[in-house]
Amino acid sequence: MLDTAPMGDMPHLLLVDDERSIREPLAAYLTKQGFRVTQAGDAESARTRLTAYAIDLVILDIMMPGEDGLSLCRHIAATSDVPVILLTARTEETDRIIGLEMGADDYVVKPFSPRELATRVKVILRRATAGGARQHAPEANAYAFAGWVLKSGERALVDREGVSVPLSTGEYNLLLALVTRPRQVLTRDQLLDLTQGREAAAFDRAIDNQVSRLRRKIEADAKTPELIKTVWGGGYTLAAEVTRL
Amino acid sequence: MALLIALALFVAQAINFGMILHDRSEFRLLQATRPVATRIADALDREAHGGRPLTADRGRVRRTPTNPIARSIMERHPEVAAELRRQFADLGLTVGRIDTGLRPAIDETSDAHRRDGLRRGDRQGPTLLIAIEQPGRGWLAITAPWPQPGWRLLLAALTQTAILYIIVLLPVLWIVRRISRPLQDLRRAAESFRPGDPGAPMPPHGPDDVVALIAAFNALRLRVTGMLDEKDRMLGAIGHDLRTPLAALRVRIESVEDDIDRAKMIDTVAEMNRTLDDILSLARLGRPSEPPTDVDLAALVDAVVEDFRDLGCEVSFVEADRLRMRLRPSLMRRAVRNLIENAVKYGVAAEVRVEERARSVAIVVADQGPGIPEDRMGDVFDAFTRLESSRNRETGGIGLGLALAQAIVREAGGEIRLVNRAGGGLDAIIELPR
Repeated sequence: MLDTAPMGDMPHLLLVDDERSIREPLAAYLTKQGFRVTQAGDAESARTRLTAYAIDLVILDIMMPGEDGLSLCRHIAATSDVPVILLTARTEETDRIIGLEMGADDYVVKPFSPRELATRVKVILRRATAGGARQHAPEANAYAFAGWVLKSGERALVDREGVSVPLSTGEYNLLLALVTRPRQVLTRDQLLDLTQGREAAAFDRAIDNQVSRLRRKIEADAKTPELIKTVWGGGYTLAAEVTRL
Repeated sequence: MALLIALALFVAQAINFGMILHDRSEFRLLQATRPVATRIADALDREAHGGRPLTADRGRVRRTPTNPIARSIMERHPEVAAELRRQFADLGLTVGRIDTGLRPAIDETSDAHRRDGLRRGDRQGPTLLIAIEQPGRGWLAITAPWPQPGWRLLLAALTQTAILYIIVLLPVLWIVRRISRPLQDLRRAAESFRPGDPGAPMPPHGPDDVVALIAAFNALRLRVTGMLDEKDRMLGAIGHDLRTPLAALRVRIESVEDDIDRAKMIDTVAEMNRTLDDILSLARLGRPSEPPTDVDLAALVDAVVEDFRDLGCEVSFVEADRLRMRLRPSLMRRAVRNLIENAVKYGVAAEVRVEERARSVAIVVADQGPGIPEDRMGDVFDAFTRLESSRNRETGGIGLGLALAQAIVREAGGEIRLVNRAGGGLDAIIELPR
């Protein structure tokens, strides 16, 4: 593939990480996956490379000496449309949310699967080319719909009484895909694509199964769903107004 | 405290009072008996040396043929009789029986007063009638003053006690209060001290010693918080420093050609990462960053089970009604997850159910495994220990999972119990107070 595809057709990734032990093998892996990869060891050299090349996506480590990843991420989000995936060593939820507010499109927690990272890169690039204008920060802190609040940090739904209803990873990913695209019809393939990139391996059961579980949780009557509606011959859609909180 | 002091004061007063009373009665006894003995000796002496004979109706000392003391109605004072007998013996007089009778205070104007022939204004208080038998010659009768000290003395003692109470007890109470109030505040502050939130330092007040104690407590509180901050920073650094090489390893594993080798390596890295997570969580549990919220516990357990099912594990959940609880959801998820992980690891398959009890809620994770020998039950909760038979990498884990789950559940006010089922298999039960 490296030999056959012209350089210009390959997505150009900028990989920013001060840890050579991660950066170099990761660059090698991503190159093998069909990306053109430029490396940077710190924020400063990353800035120069960002102006020097037409970068399609930045993979950025948060913890770096000197200017850290979050600051660089904010800079990228403010000055360009280049999507960013953050690499983080910290698992605390607050970090995740902060990262996404900084304008990142996604994140992976170390140690991450390079395969999973490659999948997410592809998903984001596809989204960027297909949808044209890309959305920064697809995740808000919370989404309100039909009396429910979906909290992204806690992976839980909060009902009218303020009681949170924890969701499984699969349910959460599916619901997040739906609330971020209200009133859009999403096919099973699209839903699989949207949910698969996240939290590797956790999701390989049928979408229908997850939908029926979700319906049991949020619908007044799961047999006649009012919120997650089945579109004949298509897929599913969330029939509710969604407010980002 | 105050009660004790009051009691001690009262006892001291009672002893005092008793001693005064004893002195008084000694004094009264002598006061009554000495003149009586002298007068009788004098009267007998005069009679013997040609004086007027003693009669029944004149003089201080009178002679009556019979005992003038009405036996039943008058209060007797045998101690007076005994003292008199001793004094007569000293004077060389021999007497027969000696009888005494108390005559209550007499109203001056009453008829009884005049009938007894007592002079006006002679004796207002009660008098003691003393009768001394002269064998063969009848009885000699004489009266002696017998002041009743009783209630007046009691009143004096009570007044004294009251004065003492006011002078001593009030300042003592004030001092005690001045010491105990800041001590109580200190106790409350110590009890409510949460390492994660040092709060405002306690304002020092009270006596010098207590002020110094409060200052020491405030300093201690800051030190504890500082140490915990330091620990958190250190753990963060350890976490970062271990995750980075782990991440590097994880990236390189992807280039391993052999599929089976690669899968095993990936599992190992994932397991190391989980252990690292557990260690960091356990170490940080003292100051959890997650606030307690209202959570549907049934949905929480259901979600954890669902995650395991997504990974292809044989875990089932017995559908339960909504169960509203206040707890830290992420931590509780981790506790439930660790129990199910153990059940899947050692017990192959697990059935999870939520039971509502009168005062508690139980999450029961029932597996199909061999259970745990009864004598090892307590050991499995110790961090870093595992039952000897399974200490190999095949089964994974280092026994931290259960210790972490226990710590999380205890933090929530509950307890984890492990029970071997009669028919085989182990029940791991998280009991939470409602």
